[in-house]
Amino acid sequence: MRIDNAYFTRRKFLNSILGGWLGAVAASFISPIVKFVWPPYKEPDEVKLVFADYSGMQPGEVKNFAWGAKPGLLKRAQDGSFIAWVGVCTHLDCNVSWIPDKKQFFCACHDGWYDENGTNVAGPPPKPLRRLESSVEGEDLFIRKPGVGAKT
Amino acid sequence: MKIDMKKFAAWFDDRLALTPIFKYMTKKEVPQHEHSFWYYTGSSILLFFFIQIVTGMMLAFYYKPTLEGATDSIGRIMTELPLGWLVRSIHSWSATFMIAFVMIHLLAIWFTKSYRKPREATWMTGMMLLVVSMVFGFTGYLLPWDDLSLSATKVGTNIPMAIPVVGKWVTQLLRGGDDVTGDTLTRFYMFHVCILPLVIFAILIVHILLVQKEGMSVPLKDEIAKKKVPALPFWPNFVLREVVIWFVLLGVLLTIAVLFAPSLEPTADLMAPAPEGVKPEWYFLFLFQTLKIFPANMGPVTGEFVAVMLILIAVVAIFFLPFLDNKPEGKKGKVFQYFGVAGVIYAIAFSIWSLL
Repeated sequence: MRIDNAYFTRRKFLNSILGGWLGAVAASFISPIVKFVWPPYKEPDEVKLVFADYSGMQPGEVKNFAWGAKPGLLKRAQDGSFIAWVGVCTHLDCNVSWIPDKKQFFCACHDGWYDENGTNVAGPPPKPLRRLESSVEGEDLFIRKPGVGAKT
Repeated sequence: MKIDMKKFAAWFDDRLALTPIFKYMTKKEVPQHEHSFWYYTGSSILLFFFIQIVTGMMLAFYYKPTLEGATDSIGRIMTELPLGWLVRSIHSWSATFMIAFVMIHLLAIWFTKSYRKPREATWMTGMMLLVVSMVFGFTGYLLPWDDLSLSATKVGTNIPMAIPVVGKWVTQLLRGGDDVTGDTLTRFYMFHVCILPLVIFAILIVHILLVQKEGMSVPLKDEIAKKKVPALPFWPNFVLREVVIWFVLLGVLLTIAVLFAPSLEPTADLMAPAPEGVKPEWYFLFLFQTLKIFPANMGPVTGEFVAVMLILIAVVAIFFLPFLDNKPEGKKGKVFQYFGVAGVIYAIAFSIWSLL
C-alpha cells in the first residue's frame, strides 16, 4: 500500500523500521563484545625496583628488569647514572640480549645489532632501542616512560 | 520383533529427504585423463583434516592453555598418557602433511588452470582455506609454549603492525594486549580450537558444494576441442582408489610420526633473550626469509612495511587469479604458468636459504 505522494510503500517502511531496529540491537551487543575481546592489558607507565639490587653495578654493566610483560635493560653509565631501555627489538619485537664481549645488544631473531647506547648499527632494526627514564628516589629505583612524571 | 528396514529407511527419507544426495553420489562421474591424478589431492587433505580433528580433540582433553600449565600438560600427555606421545606427534605431522597437500592441490589447479570460468569461486574459497590452514598452524605452534614458539609468535604477531591504520588493532587482538603474555597463549588456544574450526567448516562446506555443483574440470585442451573425456563412476570406483591412497598416506604419516616425534623444550620465559635459530614452521620460512632480507629503512618507510605490503599484494593477486588469468588458452595464460613456476622456485629457494 502506498499513500499518495509517498516515496516508499508501507511494506518497505515497516521493513526498514524492523531491520534498522534489529541492526541497532545487534550493534549494541557487538560493542561490549569488541571491548571485551580487545585487550585491557597495556604497557606500564612506570615500574618500581629496589635500588639495592642495582646499586652494586659497575660502570658499563647491564642488567635486566621486568618492564611489564617484557624485559627492560638497565645500564650503568661511566658517570654512575642509569640508562634504561625496553629490551625488545624495534624490528619485530624479539627480546634482545646484551653481549658483554662486543659491548652490543643483539637480537637473535633476524640478526639485529645495537651499540652500547642502544643505537641500531647492523641488521634489520629500523630504530634505536626505546629509551626509558630512570630516577633513584630514596631506596627505590623508578623506571618511567618518557614524559610520565613522578607520581606524588 | 523384526524391524522392517525398508520401512525404517522410508520413514527417515520422508523426513530428511536424503535420497537425491545418494542418487547424486551414485550418478556422479570423475573424468579420466592424464591429469586426473591431482583429483586425489583434495580428498587427501580431507583425510589429514579429519585426523587433525580427532587427535586435536584427544589433546584438548589434557592440554592446559595457561602460562604455568601449558608445557607441563604437554609433557604429561607425552609421558603419562597411553600413546600420548604418538597422538601429539601425529597431530604435529598431520598438520605438516595437510599444509603440504593444500599447496600441492593449489599448484595442481594453478598449472591445469582449473580455476577458469565457472570455477572462480571454488578457487577463492580454496585460497581462504589455505590462509585459515596457515593460521591454524601459526596458532598451534605457540601452544607448547617453549622459547622458540614464543619468539616466533612475537615476530608473527608484530607483523600486522606494519599495516597502516588497522595494524595495531590486529596485533592487540592477536596478543590480547600490547605484548605477548599468558593471555596470548589462552587466546591462541581459543582461536585454534573454537573460532578457526567454525570458520574452516563454513568455508569448506561452500568449497565442496561448489565442486559438486560444477563437477570436476577437464584439461583445457580437451575443453577447447570439445572432446568427450572418459569418466569413472565416483561410487564405488573412484572412492575405492581414494581409500587406497588414504591408507598409503596413513601408513607414511604413522611411520614418520613414530620415528620423528617432536621434542618438548623448556617452558618459555617472557623475559629471556630470544634464542638463536628462531624459526617458524616450514611453510612460513620463505616469508620469514623475505622479511629478513629487506633493509631497515627504504626511503620514508621501513623495509618491513614494504615487505609486508608486497606479501599482501601477492596474496590478494593470487586470490583473484581467475580474473587476472581470464584468457587461459592464449599467450596471457602462458605468462601465468611462468608466474606459478617463478613462485614455486622463489618459495623453495628462500626456504632453503633461511635454513643455511
